[in-house]
Amino acid sequence: MAASSKPGSPRPPPSSSSSMAQDLFNNFSFSKTLKLKTKQQELLIRVTVLTLIYILAFITRLFSVLRYESMIHEFDPYFNYRTTLYLTKNGFAEFWNWFDSESWYPLGRIIGGTLYPGLMLTAAALYWVLRFLRFAVHIREVCVLTAPFFASNTTLVAYFFGKEIWDSGAGIVAAALIAICPGYISRSVAGSYDNEGVAIFALLLTFYLFVKAVNTGSLAWALASAFGYFYMVSAWGGYVFIINLVPLYVLVLLVTGRYSLRLYVAYNCMYVVGMLLAMQIRFVGFQHVQSGEHMAAMGVFFLLQVFFFLDWVRHLLSDAKLFEAFLRITVTGAVSVGAIALGVGTASGYISPWTGRFYSLLDPTYAKDHIPIIASVSEHQPTAWSSFMFDFHILLILFPAGLYFCFKRLSDATIFIVMYGLTSMYFAGVMVRLILVATPAVCLISAIAVSATVKNLTRLVRSQSQAVQSGSSKGASTAKSSSKGVIDNSQPFQRNGAILLLLGAFYLLTRYAIHCTWVTSEAYSSPSIVLAARGAHGNRVIFDDYREAYFWLRQNTPPDAKVMSWWDYGYQITAMGNRTVIVDNNTWNNTHIATVGRAMSSYEDEAYEIMRSLDVDYVLVVFGGVTGYSSDDINKFLWMVRIGGGVFPVIKEPDYLVNGEYRVDKGAAPKMLNCLMYKLSYYRFGELTTEYGKPPGFDRARGVEIGNKDIKLEYLEEAFTTQNWIVRIYKVKPPKNRW
Amino acid sequence: MRAKSDNPQPQATGDYSTSSLSSATTTSIDPIYHILRILPFSFLRPPRLRLKLPSLSLPSPNLVFAFVLLTYFMVVSGIVYDIIVEPPGIGSTQDPYTGAVRPVVFMSGRVNGQYIIEGLSSGFMFLLGGIGIILLDLALDRNRPRTVKSSYAAAGISSVVLSYVMSMLFVRIKIPAYLR
Repeated sequence: MAASSKPGSPRPPPSSSSSMAQDLFNNFSFSKTLKLKTKQQELLIRVTVLTLIYILAFITRLFSVLRYESMIHEFDPYFNYRTTLYLTKNGFAEFWNWFDSESWYPLGRIIGGTLYPGLMLTAAALYWVLRFLRFAVHIREVCVLTAPFFASNTTLVAYFFGKEIWDSGAGIVAAALIAICPGYISRSVAGSYDNEGVAIFALLLTFYLFVKAVNTGSLAWALASAFGYFYMVSAWGGYVFIINLVPLYVLVLLVTGRYSLRLYVAYNCMYVVGMLLAMQIRFVGFQHVQSGEHMAAMGVFFLLQVFFFLDWVRHLLSDAKLFEAFLRITVTGAVSVGAIALGVGTASGYISPWTGRFYSLLDPTYAKDHIPIIASVSEHQPTAWSSFMFDFHILLILFPAGLYFCFKRLSDATIFIVMYGLTSMYFAGVMVRLILVATPAVCLISAIAVSATVKNLTRLVRSQSQAVQSGSSKGASTAKSSSKGVIDNSQPFQRNGAILLLLGAFYLLTRYAIHCTWVTSEAYSSPSIVLAARGAHGNRVIFDDYREAYFWLRQNTPPDAKVMSWWDYGYQITAMGNRTVIVDNNTWNNTHIATVGRAMSSYEDEAYEIMRSLDVDYVLVVFGGVTGYSSDDINKFLWMVRIGGGVFPVIKEPDYLVNGEYRVDKGAAPKMLNCLMYKLSYYRFGELTTEYGKPPGFDRARGVEIGNKDIKLEYLEEAFTTQNWIVRIYKVKPPKNRW
Repeated sequence: MRAKSDNPQPQATGDYSTSSLSSATTTSIDPIYHILRILPFSFLRPPRLRLKLPSLSLPSPNLVFAFVLLTYFMVVSGIVYDIIVEPPGIGSTQDPYTGAVRPVVFMSGRVNGQYIIEGLSSGFMFLLGGIGIILLDLALDRNRPRTVKSSYAAAGISSVVLSYVMSMLFVRIKIPAYLR
């Protein structure tokens, strides 16, 4: 900022320390030798800073690639990787009409119609472009690095958005904040090849284009926002947020009396063209006219037509009282027609009610009581204050201040960002996973706070030095600073205080950067498929058991073998083991999952009946007793019981608990000690000593000695156990051929 | 055409009182109006009521902002977590030697877990920091007396410093491995 304050050519006589610093800067600065004008200096600084932010956003996400290798993380990305591989091998038509018989045996899955293709098409497009330029990359590298690339693009969009809402200073701060914010990094780290990596870029782009359309009233920007919305619909199911926030925003503008033709053009174009484009995605289909979640947009659309019509009538009529009467009739008529239409649609079943996933956002207690599958996902838990702190750090302090500045300067754009911030923060409070959606809003609003505060403080600093040399400089730099030049020039205390506060702000932002880098490195860069721990001497120990097991499956089982496991591992087994699975992470069929849950929680002979009916050849369980790994199947077992029990009442949760407590030691419930999951997890574990000084069969994840050590399997036999006993695979024996 | 709700007799709504009286002289082509004029209202006399519809006016921005800050405080304190998971207000642990029950303020062990009081105090710290920055901005407003401005500035700076220090302290207590 210092470079833009003084005019280029006439140099004021050095009479105070700040202009001496200015001369020093000019002496060493590149711009002086090039004789750039102020505007060009500012442009150079801005472009340099944005380039650095772009590069920073990319490299801060590369921790796991540097530590482990370039691989896909977690569970869902493996499905995305497999579909992208299929797309690049077989082309778009095959991909769009793909019926996959390798998952959800024996039902199969219509992949073309049940996924959001945006991510796969984006990665495939990047891959084809690179191939066209003769870079022989493997599709896996493109997939791994897609998310950081789009994160860098998001910072650019954030810059333009900040410029639109406030000014370019706020835009640059917003780009810098969002480049390293852990809330965004958690889902866009290199290797996390998931829909959100691309979707947040599409979300922010759509919002920016829409706000630009409302500000300018131009049809071109509105069309661009419709295409941005189309990209968002193709990328992620969270597009429902856009299609509800934008109508809510329009409603708020109407209520506060900010109706204008610009708003009319922007919303109409975006809604109609966006809706037609969204229907091209088979997974979305006709939901925009049939689903209850999309009805708000339609209602506001019709309300806007009524507003326009009334505006036109008022323009035609000259009699105010007649118009009031007309207004009352029309509004009453329109509201009642709308209500009747909505009622008829809902009652006849044409308009489907809100799906459980989104209804649980409005009523958070709903999932806990009614839909155990949604409640069991760890990402869907409500948010505690420490999760907020981890993901936002000082942005939580800057957010209310930014809201204050937005309220001070209310305009169409600031109203939008305030609404986006508040609604997304509420949803972030309901579900941990949605902190991601709140991150751009929080970064933008905090950037406004930072920019406005820094502007105030530098104004103080500059006004002092301006007032001291007011007689000597030719022509003030801006009219603003010269008019404020006469504040209290008798108090150097004020100027020093402002400099001190600037240093304080700089310190806070530095701490933010340190925090973000630490969180990224320690918490969000783990591939989840490769586990790391600290050994006894502080050295890093790597457990690669998952990939070992999947590779064993790939090499040592017949190609048409069917594997039964809990749904968490389905995508990985299909992608890496290349075998058919019974249930996977898509969780679209609750009864099928409940059947698997019932099999896992029954005694071995009942489970064998179920497994024979599903043609299961291998069973895979994850066991953390030897390593102390706590996300294993025994810890998830109660969810299997609950989901199974939700469909088959023979499975009752109290059978597995003792006094409401879940135990695996000697005092555990007898049904627990003999169910299939227990047997498969602890088979031969009773002979193993896991920790010095503890008896054999000591489960390190639960911290107890197991109750039933002498396990005999009648219908299954052990096929493979990985090196650290994390993944165990059992073969289902064929039925005896003698009575 | 006049709305059907307009009776020439005294008023259903106060807003329309003047307009209906002034338009009573014009003849209406509304058949239902004529039927109503003859059938009940030729012998029934509606009473003169002074009803007024409550006038809805938009709340002032300051009020909305105060409400927004309150909601922010509640969300950031993890109130949804409190409602769904129902943790105790404050945790307790038993001293292994004396057997006395000691309170535990911060739930340790995981990032996404809290007790109610811990959530509320952290949320308050964040809000305090935000208010501190707001006070700093108010202190730079030119139209106030100097003493008010300096007291605002002092309060703002101390709020921000206190809030940052306390937030960092809370995080370090809750997650011992923070920044190491």
